[in-house]
Amino acid sequence: MSAAVAKTVITCHVNGEEHTVLGDPRDTLLEVLRDRLGLTGTKEGCGNGNCGSCTVLADGVAVCACLVLAGETEGMQITTVEGLTLDGKRHAVQQALIDHGGTQCGFCTPGIIMSAVALLETNPQPSDAEIRHAIAGNICRCTGYEKIVRAISAAASTNAGLSA
Amino acid sequence: MNDTGQIDWGKRDSVVGKRLPRVDGGERVEGTAIYPADMSLPGMLHAKTLRSPHAHAKIVSVDTSKAAALAGVKAIVTAADFHDVPAGATIPMGEAGYDMWMVARINIAKDKVFWVGQPVAYVAATDVHIAETALGLIDVVYEPLPAVMTIDEAMQPTAPVIHDNVITTGLDQAPHGPSNVCSRALIERGDGLHEIAIKNAAATGVMDATIDTAHQGYIEPQAAVAQVDSNGMATVWVATQGQHTTELMISRMLDRPQSRVKVVPVEIGGGFGGKISIHGEAACVLLSELTGRAVKLVLTREEVFQGGSGPPAAARHRIEVAADSDGTLTAITGVYRQDCGGLPGLPASLMMQASAALYQCPHLHLEGYDVVTNKPRTEAYRGPGGIQAYFAMEQAMDALCQRLDIDPLAFRKKNATVTGATMPIGTPMPPIGLTTILDAVGAHGCWTDPLGESEAAHLKRGRGLALGYWRGTSMTSACHISISGDGRPMVTMGSADISGTRTTMAQVAAEQFELSIDDVLVVMGDTKSVGYSDGAAGSRLARTMAAAVVEASDKAMAELRRRAGRLLQAEPETLIYRHGVFEAPPENSGVTISLAEIMQATLTDGAIVETGVSTKLPLGVEVGCHVADVEVDTETGQVTVLRYTAFQDVGRALNPTAVEGQIEGSVVQGLGWALTEGFDYGDDGRLRNASMLDYRMPTALDVPPVEAVIIETPVPDVPYGLRGVGEVPIVPVGGCIANAVARAIGARVASMPMTPERVLQAVKGAA
Repeated sequence: MSAAVAKTVITCHVNGEEHTVLGDPRDTLLEVLRDRLGLTGTKEGCGNGNCGSCTVLADGVAVCACLVLAGETEGMQITTVEGLTLDGKRHAVQQALIDHGGTQCGFCTPGIIMSAVALLETNPQPSDAEIRHAIAGNICRCTGYEKIVRAISAAASTNAGLSA
Repeated sequence: MNDTGQIDWGKRDSVVGKRLPRVDGGERVEGTAIYPADMSLPGMLHAKTLRSPHAHAKIVSVDTSKAAALAGVKAIVTAADFHDVPAGATIPMGEAGYDMWMVARINIAKDKVFWVGQPVAYVAATDVHIAETALGLIDVVYEPLPAVMTIDEAMQPTAPVIHDNVITTGLDQAPHGPSNVCSRALIERGDGLHEIAIKNAAATGVMDATIDTAHQGYIEPQAAVAQVDSNGMATVWVATQGQHTTELMISRMLDRPQSRVKVVPVEIGGGFGGKISIHGEAACVLLSELTGRAVKLVLTREEVFQGGSGPPAAARHRIEVAADSDGTLTAITGVYRQDCGGLPGLPASLMMQASAALYQCPHLHLEGYDVVTNKPRTEAYRGPGGIQAYFAMEQAMDALCQRLDIDPLAFRKKNATVTGATMPIGTPMPPIGLTTILDAVGAHGCWTDPLGESEAAHLKRGRGLALGYWRGTSMTSACHISISGDGRPMVTMGSADISGTRTTMAQVAAEQFELSIDDVLVVMGDTKSVGYSDGAAGSRLARTMAAAVVEASDKAMAELRRRAGRLLQAEPETLIYRHGVFEAPPENSGVTISLAEIMQATLTDGAIVETGVSTKLPLGVEVGCHVADVEVDTETGQVTVLRYTAFQDVGRALNPTAVEGQIEGSVVQGLGWALTEGFDYGDDGRLRNASMLDYRMPTALDVPPVEAVIIETPVPDVPYGLRGVGEVPIVPVGGCIANAVARAIGARVASMPMTPERVLQAVKGAA
């Protein structure tokens, strides 16, 4: 008996680059990113959209990569945490999380960063309540969220050119 | 260090005590930190676990032939392929050792299964989908047995006995047969007069509490990669709290010499006590040995919850406390029962002692039992047993305060233990700052600010207070420090980093060498490159590893000083050292030499590699007091936490940001268990909420800002006066929220989590 399922060609645009891989039609975007493209910054915490560790941006919108079939992503611009550092310079959210103690074990961190990046694109000066709402789909078990919220707020201030 | 080379601990503080950012923050925010699930080796196979669908059953037969015939399946192992670990086998870990027979059964069931999800077989295949398909082709014939799911059921005289060899120890009269009760522990003080004290008391407080199983909730499921090479050396990359104890467990489980097992700790996505035991690593080694290929095992979230890991213990605790009319405690009594899960052995003594440790009281009678049930074997979670016991104890104390109409803070001050007072086990309390904490609480806005009015009549507010204590442990920590060719120290730690220890140890080393933190490199060593250390657990690591780093630093500095003396042609003890430079005294030549210059000049004379070991360092016991304001919606039972303040004596904060992070994170874990987290088992033994949707952990919207207030009462005879930090901040949370809710609605919720349904029942009861 064979469990083989016919392979399929999957094309994705990730972090500004086009990739073509041979995959399984059952592959989620998360599996393609991690297992076929070697972009392991995006994590799997639950596999069914409840923890947010696999958050990536699809055309700027924060989505759970485990809930998106790789085959559905044709034409979408996917951004992962690996795509945020430009010319050696970290995104303000990334730097702020380091500076304010907003990352401990680091497992939820890439997902939190992507949710925060999406937030700041549409709401550059969010209140703490708006920040908490934006990351409500990202479960963190280590920090209690306190320093994450402060960091995202500080990143917003940095972006605005105000002192943090 | 002063000029003669003597160390003045904590006097200079140019690095220690500072809010420095994590040294490993960059890889976390850039997504380049490597966890085991991220690893990929050439030819690597993927492993999957076949797990028991029954809570209690005999394994009659296991037929793997159809699965083995599936294309892509390379190896399958069952209990028959594992070395037989006898009952009573242990590995050294801490004061009591760690039950190795239990570890073996957690990893593979033999003859019987004791919980839904217990592993029965492991498959390695060329991809994950094939491995999963293969699981469905393994034929296991079970003979189901009656399952016992709760402590109350398990303790019935007519309950089915889960383990034939469990004969309750610690009873006055030895029982004539096996039962589900493993042991009885007794802590007594006051000549057995506690019952009279209760009878004569001006008031008593009683809490008969039920605490549901919860879960540590680490976001990263267990994962490991194993590879046995052509020389028979097994390397295991794993997210573990202790690389050396993992090596011991793998070695014992496979009867493989320790020198042929190398455990490499990689990044770990949360442990909290749940990643001390191995969960599949030994099976991966076996599969790799059989196939000649690397094998990777990653648990799914459902597996983690549905029996693939060890949650903390459910409990049933009945506490009764008594006092005189002026609030002086006269008796603390309790019957404590904690749930071992499917394998025996979780003695209640440590948890009971902790529950009463902070009170001075002439009469104690604490009786504790550990009970087996057909649920996953209990494992540790931040001060194991503490939050459960304190949910009961602090509510009983608070009920007593209400009866006597005494302010709960004043009551704690009146009865607080102090340095030197006698602890429940009879030894004197080591130095603590409980009264300092209580004074700080009283002076803080969390206690003095008005509670404020709710916006509607059906919303009720209340303020609660609770204490917390955890003893922690010391055990063994080791490191070595080598000096690079550019004069910079590199610290190799023997233990894993689960709380930011790489950063704090870099701070300690930088302080010792008078360098900037950027000049120090700290790495976690694998088990073949660094000396034995116990794991990161028991709030022990920063304190004991700091002692090891201080020792290794001293030795390295002494050798550098000797070499400097030779090169400067001066007596080493006359040299003045400051910030990486040795200077000959002015009357000699005043010539200087840097650490880099010393190393370049003496590179071929021999490396400078110095070890440091700490064993049985004096304890730094952990003490905390928490205050919370809640608002209860008496129409829905929903509890909103408005404000939360956690006071904790940390001895000395090596890095206040890191310390606050531990406290804030623990509090939110505690809020989860207090209000929404509880395992819901069906009568068939299956966990009904085995997903992160239905096992409801707090999100950023569920919790208020948490304020951590750090108190520092240094511990004598311990470097930098450090206490353990990481466990006690979860201990008071259940009791604190429960007390706030009780004062809001005028009735007590006796079950944790205090879900809306349970709160509503209490509201209705009070109406």
